[in-house]
Amino acid sequence: MKKAVMYALTAASLCAAHPALAVDNVQGLAMTCNNCHGTGGVSVGLSMPSIAGLSESYLKNIMTEWKTGARASANMTRLIKGYTDDEIAALAQYYSKLPWKPAAQSVSADILAKGKEVTERCETCHGATGGQPDDADTPMLAGQWAKYMELELLKYRDEGFQMTHKKMTRNARKMEEGDVATAAKFHGAHSK
Amino acid sequence: MSQINRRQFIQAFAAVSAAPALSFPSIARAGAKAKVVVIGGGYAGATAAKYLKLLDGRIDVTLIEPNALYVSCPLSNEVMVGHRDIGTLTVGYDGLKKRGVNVLHDYVTRVDRARKVVMTKGGKTLPYDALVMAPGVDFHYVGIEGYNESMINDIPHAWKAGAQTLLLKKQLEAMPDGGVFVITVPKGPFRCPPGPYERASLVANYFQHHGKKKSKVIILDANDSHSKKGLFNQAWAKMYGWEKEGLGTNGMIEWVKGAEGGAINKLDAKTKTVSSDFVDVKADVLNIIPPHKAGKIAVAAGLTGETGNNFEQGWCKVVPMTMASAVDPNIYTIGDSCVAGEMSTYGNPNAAFDMPKSAHIAMTQAKVAAAAIVAKVNGLPTPQPYYANTCYSVVGDEYGISVAHLYRVENGTFKYIPAGSGISPVTMPDKSPVPAIYRKLEAEYADGWLRNVMADAFI
Repeated sequence: MKKAVMYALTAASLCAAHPALAVDNVQGLAMTCNNCHGTGGVSVGLSMPSIAGLSESYLKNIMTEWKTGARASANMTRLIKGYTDDEIAALAQYYSKLPWKPAAQSVSADILAKGKEVTERCETCHGATGGQPDDADTPMLAGQWAKYMELELLKYRDEGFQMTHKKMTRNARKMEEGDVATAAKFHGAHSK
Repeated sequence: MSQINRRQFIQAFAAVSAAPALSFPSIARAGAKAKVVVIGGGYAGATAAKYLKLLDGRIDVTLIEPNALYVSCPLSNEVMVGHRDIGTLTVGYDGLKKRGVNVLHDYVTRVDRARKVVMTKGGKTLPYDALVMAPGVDFHYVGIEGYNESMINDIPHAWKAGAQTLLLKKQLEAMPDGGVFVITVPKGPFRCPPGPYERASLVANYFQHHGKKKSKVIILDANDSHSKKGLFNQAWAKMYGWEKEGLGTNGMIEWVKGAEGGAINKLDAKTKTVSSDFVDVKADVLNIIPPHKAGKIAVAAGLTGETGNNFEQGWCKVVPMTMASAVDPNIYTIGDSCVAGEMSTYGNPNAAFDMPKSAHIAMTQAKVAAAAIVAKVNGLPTPQPYYANTCYSVVGDEYGISVAHLYRVENGTFKYIPAGSGISPVTMPDKSPVPAIYRKLEAEYADGWLRNVMADAFI
């Protein structure tokens, strides 16, 4: 109930407060995103990220980078090119105002222990358990789907896949291959 | 349980309209509850029912669906070849009930548009202020001499998921190595445009993993081109020995276009031989996908086109802004039974092409209809509609491909947005091969997409 109320409130306050965004119906626009990202941006699909509650700056940047072609995506690059800059801004604002709902993912004590070790290099930007990003451009990891994060790491590690964040690319490639899934599971299991 | 407060939704609309937020007189008659009946509990109908409650929980929503369980057609080809359990595609209606939707397992026998009531086999008469018509497709068992509906338990179509899917699976498992699996594709439009080619791909994949490497898949296609063709050809060449179109080639998959004998018009059920004007093909396992038309009740209610070109005939025409029926403003026609838009830029050489009959587009149509109904009930302006489609096909091990479509409504007509549409890359911009990770990601995303669309529609 609380989530849904927030959902509607956001749409109302957003449009009222930012008429300059010039998007007629951001709620209607966002409802089409829900198909893949879950009702209200809370994903139940392991390979798809939850987008509700991520920072506005991160959401806007990533969509813009896909639109301009700076950053690759297997599929979002296609759809997002059909959206205006105003629509991207409105969507980023809309989803950022919805509450972050961590996905419940339990893992073994081994994964938690090993994960803590192999995610040390993540800490400076994402926080100790991926739950305290140091700036608005850094996404929340704690409670995001592990499978999705594992696939993201594969993108950073693949030389044929164009990603924009150099530091992230460097660090992802420093990881041992066997640690990728462990790191993703570790962050996923921390519901912040 | 989780519903958007009506007043807040109204504020969302009001804030973007020219009128001041609280100037709508209809808000004063907030006590009246509109009645909406939804016919059909597939992706389209379920989504419409859920989003009606989400957007205005006070609306009385009744969903009428004969079956207690729904089995998703998307990714049901994975069940057929043993990559997925059918349980992962099966969902009931408890999620919708929890949201306050009245779910009636019954069959609609008549829509009386003049009285605005629907009547059911179970003897119920339900009045409506707005009706959502989402019966999906029906099969047109005509045009193939020697073929009729009574044969589907021997020659399954598996184009509505469930028992038919499992039957075809069994037949496939029993097929000897060296056997021929024949799939026939009807003239479009049909549900799930890439579906037949995805099925052919996964059957070939199954042959490779289950000791049937000498077997073949032959696609006899009434059409001369198909969805994601460049991507399918590339995948078939990479994994299944595809060289070129036509019968008698060396690949595990053979595709025969309509102009070269793919359009079958005759069946010898005893020998499982299908024939066109050019060829006779004998199958060990035969999968005839019958031609389609809009669901019976949509036709009976007089919502389908009777004149005009063949493309529009037999399907429900819609008003782009709202998904309302072009012939009845109180009925909203969504999902596979409707024809929405004319997507000639898609490149289908046969004819004008509508929005694909996919689960994803059915759901965005449902959301447009739900928002339009809620706005109308509350005396608010029609919200700007948005339509998008994504469709994944898993065609091999760690190999997925997709297509995306984006549409807008401008000046009351559908506009296809090429910039927001397109298939997975066939090559990289510099013509180099696409790294394998793209295909792997899309195979993974297909599963994530499925879980989210099922939940977004039914839970």
